[in-house]
Amino acid sequence: MEILKAENLVKIYHDNGVPVNALQGINLTVSKGEFIVIAGPSGSGKTTLLNLLGALDKPTEGKIYFEGEDITQKEKKVLSKMRLHKLGFIFQAYNLIPVLTAIENIEFSMMLLGIPDNVRKGKALALMDELGIKELANKRPNEMSRGQQQRVAVARAIVNNPSLVLADEPTANLDSVTASHLLDMMEQMNSEKKITFIFSSRDKQVIDRAKRLIILKDGRIEN
Amino acid sequence: MIFKLAWRNIWRNKRRSLIVLVSIIVGLIAIFLSDGLSNGMMRQMLFNQINLDIAHIQIHKAGFNRNKIVKNYLPDYKHVESVLKANPEVQAYSKRVYATGILSSANNSSGVIIDGIIPAEEAKVSIIKNSIIKGRYLGSGKRGILIGEKLAEKLGVDVGDKVVAMANTLKGDIGSDAFRIVGIFQTSSSEFDKIAVYVNSKAEQEMLGIGDNYHEFAIITKDYNEVTSIKNKLEAELGSRYEVFTYRDMLPMLIYQMELYKESMMILNIIIGLALIFGIINTMLMSVFERIREFGVLMAIDMKNSRLYLMIVFEAFILGIIGTLTGLVCGLLLDIPLAHSGINLSIFSVGLESFGIGAVIYPVLSAGSLINSVLFMPLVAVVGALYPAYKAIKLEPIYAINYV
Repeated sequence: MEILKAENLVKIYHDNGVPVNALQGINLTVSKGEFIVIAGPSGSGKTTLLNLLGALDKPTEGKIYFEGEDITQKEKKVLSKMRLHKLGFIFQAYNLIPVLTAIENIEFSMMLLGIPDNVRKGKALALMDELGIKELANKRPNEMSRGQQQRVAVARAIVNNPSLVLADEPTANLDSVTASHLLDMMEQMNSEKKITFIFSSRDKQVIDRAKRLIILKDGRIEN
Repeated sequence: MIFKLAWRNIWRNKRRSLIVLVSIIVGLIAIFLSDGLSNGMMRQMLFNQINLDIAHIQIHKAGFNRNKIVKNYLPDYKHVESVLKANPEVQAYSKRVYATGILSSANNSSGVIIDGIIPAEEAKVSIIKNSIIKGRYLGSGKRGILIGEKLAEKLGVDVGDKVVAMANTLKGDIGSDAFRIVGIFQTSSSEFDKIAVYVNSKAEQEMLGIGDNYHEFAIITKDYNEVTSIKNKLEAELGSRYEVFTYRDMLPMLIYQMELYKESMMILNIIIGLALIFGIINTMLMSVFERIREFGVLMAIDMKNSRLYLMIVFEAFILGIIGTLTGLVCGLLLDIPLAHSGINLSIFSVGLESFGIGAVIYPVLSAGSLINSVLFMPLVAVVGALYPAYKAIKLEPIYAINYV
């Protein structure tokens, strides 16, 4: 079942008035439950593509269909709601809210959905238990290791049962053992919950785990 | 959760939050002190005038206030007295004979206002009896005179010395009489001490040749806030042959000055508020710029702009509330003891006494200014956060997430 489709995506940035072609005609179809890695050298357009697929940015040209709907013409508010309900994000720098504990970070997006306090606490704890990070519940980001922070970030990304999780270089700041554990966790979520994952990465470990590999170079898909 | 987030955000950079808090606390204490001090000065000026001479209400013959001559005595003081006795809102009154003249000693002479009083009545209306620093208050003897310390210095006289008072009589002659100084007074107004003298009313009536008549009733009411309604009642009862003035009518400049002080205090508060607003804008902007990535994540996961805005404004509001409550406690802890002990400004006593204030100022913090300040500071904090909060919600998530 098709979840995401990109048609002839073009993204041109302007750097001090100079146009930079970040993406040059990307065509891509993603089916539900896929585990995709977008790989490529620095500056190839991986993050730009991920941002477009995640409705964080708009293409200069082309269309993106999410669950059959064209999202390129949608208003910011609609996109924002779509991100909350359907998408999960994992960032390279984890981007946990430093003043909230691990469980509060996970609860936060549920709070935005209006889920009552007692329900979201139970749900967050159950998920943390499932991911083996329950002991981190009351720790703040500065009390956790990088790997622990990224695990919490994964939990935050999937707690609202998104259809699609976009992970931008999620292992970039982790050692290989920690990265491997993290990838195990995401593979598990992919196989058990059928959550679709799209990674952007240059990490060999991540690339090796890809069920489908897309290689970008100079804003174009090479393979 | 938003409150929790706002509360924790405040304390993530303790030093910065403490600086904002201290500036609010210091601002509030400054407002309390300056407000209390100026309010106290104004009230002291007013009450000193009331208690020295003016009283709450004065009654004269119509036109006396414009032309204070001997023949403008009250047409029927007994009628006025009966009206005052029947009025339950009148606490005390004093009948006075009034004349301007010259007081001479063997060494010098000086222009004076000669107040002829019934000592027992005057003691209930003014503070002269309690202001005697040497000698005693007037008794039943007709030849006694009370003079101010400054006048005694000028005339080179002391208690027991003889002085001669001269003033125009009813017939237009110069009347004079010799008096012996029985007491010297010192009030909070050096100007008053230079020109006011008190003699027994009988002696002055004889000297001026006005029979048993009086020029003035000085009245203390039970509630000085009610003077206008009491004045209206007295005017209605006494008719057009008399003029009735409240202290507000007799001290228009002072009342105007008090209003002006209130306005200048408001301006001072606004200046302090503006300084604080800019401080808070600066602090909150720094705080916003530090958290751009966080805001990006929050916006990416659909934290609505209104919630983000509210969170930042809430942070400032909490700081405002904490600062206000702490400032209120500190301000009151400073103000309450000072209100009892007073602030000794004797180094400025010459200037202050010439304004009739006295060297010791007792700060008075009114409930109104207290409430205004307490409402003002959180408002200032919120206003200071509006722009930084606006900056935050104007961020694009894509830019914010990747902000370095």
